[in-house]
Amino acid sequence: MTTHITAIGSGKGGTGKTLIAVSLAHALAHQGERVLLCDADLGLSNAGVHLGLGDTGDLAGLLDGSKTLKEAVVRVNSGPRVSFDILAAPSGTFADASEAVVAALIAILERAGQYDRVLVDLGAGVDATVMSFAARADEILLVVTPDPASLTDAYAFAKLLLRRTTTRVPQILVNMALNATEGRRIAEALMASARAFLRCAPDFLGFIPFDARVPEAVRRQSPLLTLFPQTPAAVAVEQIARRLHGNAAAPVTAMGLR
Amino acid sequence: MQLRTFLAKDMREALATVRADMGPEAVIIASEKSKNGGVMVRAALDEPDAAAPAGREDAAETATIADFDTHYRDGLLRRLRSQPGGTAKNAARFDRAELLAALHRQRLPDGTAHALAEAAVKAQLTDMTLALASALDARMKPWALDMHEAHALLLVGPNGAGKTAVAAKIAAHARLAGRRTTLVAADSAGAGAVARLETFARHLDCAVTTVQSAAELNALVSECLSKKTFVIVDTAGFDPRDGKARAAFAALAQIGKLETVGVVSALNDAEEISEIVEALAALGAKRLIVTGLDLTRRFGALVAAATQGLALAHVTRSPFIAGGLDSPTSLSLARLLLDEQRSAQ
Repeated sequence: MTTHITAIGSGKGGTGKTLIAVSLAHALAHQGERVLLCDADLGLSNAGVHLGLGDTGDLAGLLDGSKTLKEAVVRVNSGPRVSFDILAAPSGTFADASEAVVAALIAILERAGQYDRVLVDLGAGVDATVMSFAARADEILLVVTPDPASLTDAYAFAKLLLRRTTTRVPQILVNMALNATEGRRIAEALMASARAFLRCAPDFLGFIPFDARVPEAVRRQSPLLTLFPQTPAAVAVEQIARRLHGNAAAPVTAMGLR
Repeated sequence: MQLRTFLAKDMREALATVRADMGPEAVIIASEKSKNGGVMVRAALDEPDAAAPAGREDAAETATIADFDTHYRDGLLRRLRSQPGGTAKNAARFDRAELLAALHRQRLPDGTAHALAEAAVKAQLTDMTLALASALDARMKPWALDMHEAHALLLVGPNGAGKTAVAAKIAAHARLAGRRTTLVAADSAGAGAVARLETFARHLDCAVTTVQSAAELNALVSECLSKKTFVIVDTAGFDPRDGKARAAFAALAQIGKLETVGVVSALNDAEEISEIVEALAALGAKRLIVTGLDLTRRFGALVAAATQGLALAHVTRSPFIAGGLDSPTSLSLARLLLDEQRSAQ
């Protein structure tokens, strides 16, 4: 039995990927999952910055074999008796990560039986390291925002993923939508493009509304769900986490339609 | 992907602009009414895909990906550097007589052809394809199956229409959408169909069940729905002229929560298909799937089926499960009718 790996990517930078990864880790931990948040933005990791952590784990030590996974991670307490682990490299450590590094890391994460789920925050872009990480994940969340450039980059991400794996299709997560209608519309646009050009049907996982509390939480370097648990964005993240939690129970082997 | 947003007076003008600026391959991915009364339309166009020559995809993964990445980037750059919208094909001008002749070549019944031509004249569009699309638009209703929302489907159609393959295709889409899926053979006569379903199901990782009666099916559907499992029911051939079969199908179609979907082949005579569709409508079918577009070069039967009042859910162009289900629109149908005629000449 391998650990369930959920990768979060977007193609474009600045879509709120890291904040979503951190908040989902938090929410899933509260739903009883044993979660490891792995910041795979190997060149420029910053999940630790969002959480205000000094120490974000020793990814380098893990990869060179000097530390076990247990020794390399850092525990983040996100509430009374609730915590998740984080594993990241200090920003700049792996500026030139190769696919071999990624393969080694994935091999370790897949066998991390002490966790129910590993959430992987993929870096921006669609380069080989990002795509090879995504290709090995059990599910892929693709973050899109109302910015049209985010739509084209997300499409490129889905296209490359499908080329690489021939079967894997991401689930769409819309961030910073003004309301449910806009969220649905943005997802539909990406779904329509995928249907027309890639002959695949990505799933709409949900949307997170634009919320002024989000930048506020980021500025304070505190988890959104701790600081403003009732704010609309936090509520949306919790709903999405519940959906993911349900899905993990019945893993899906994706079928290609090409 | 090329992405552009157009503002236009109305949908018709927007479509014409998209087609002129981005070419015939462009797809509308979003549209909304703008505040000052017009429409805002967002259209996408995929990059030319020089990257994946047939057979390469299965080759060593890393090499292919590196190649693909390079090609993809090059394609993007090429498109960015080139003039926007140089790709539109020479659009044919609208001409009533020419349209009628084209529809005749497609073996449309005369009445339908004339009605379409009249409607196309009234549309007052100069482009042949758009005029026909506008005429078709008033007579057909695309209504694709929503693989996330659909609960239980009963596939009904004549022998050899391709119900079993359609069932497998729908199951494949549903699995892709993350649904638990059960294929049901309500088909005591066709042992071959059950064996085929089982083969498909193995590849799709879903269950196969056989039922012998409407009561048994009713119980199974209720059970699956309570477990949130998507049910696709494959049936024996439906002969509308056989009273006994009609009664048996009526019993199946009356099961609540089970949507009847007609499956008919495009490889048919237009009048023949009209009768079948009528019988399917009488059974309670609201939409149709038309199969075998790859088998015929004359689409009279397809148009007859699509303009009979039932919604057109999907068409299929390939006997392979992976060939998938296309969702036709009036514009794509118009293109099919006119392009086919051009290439046949």
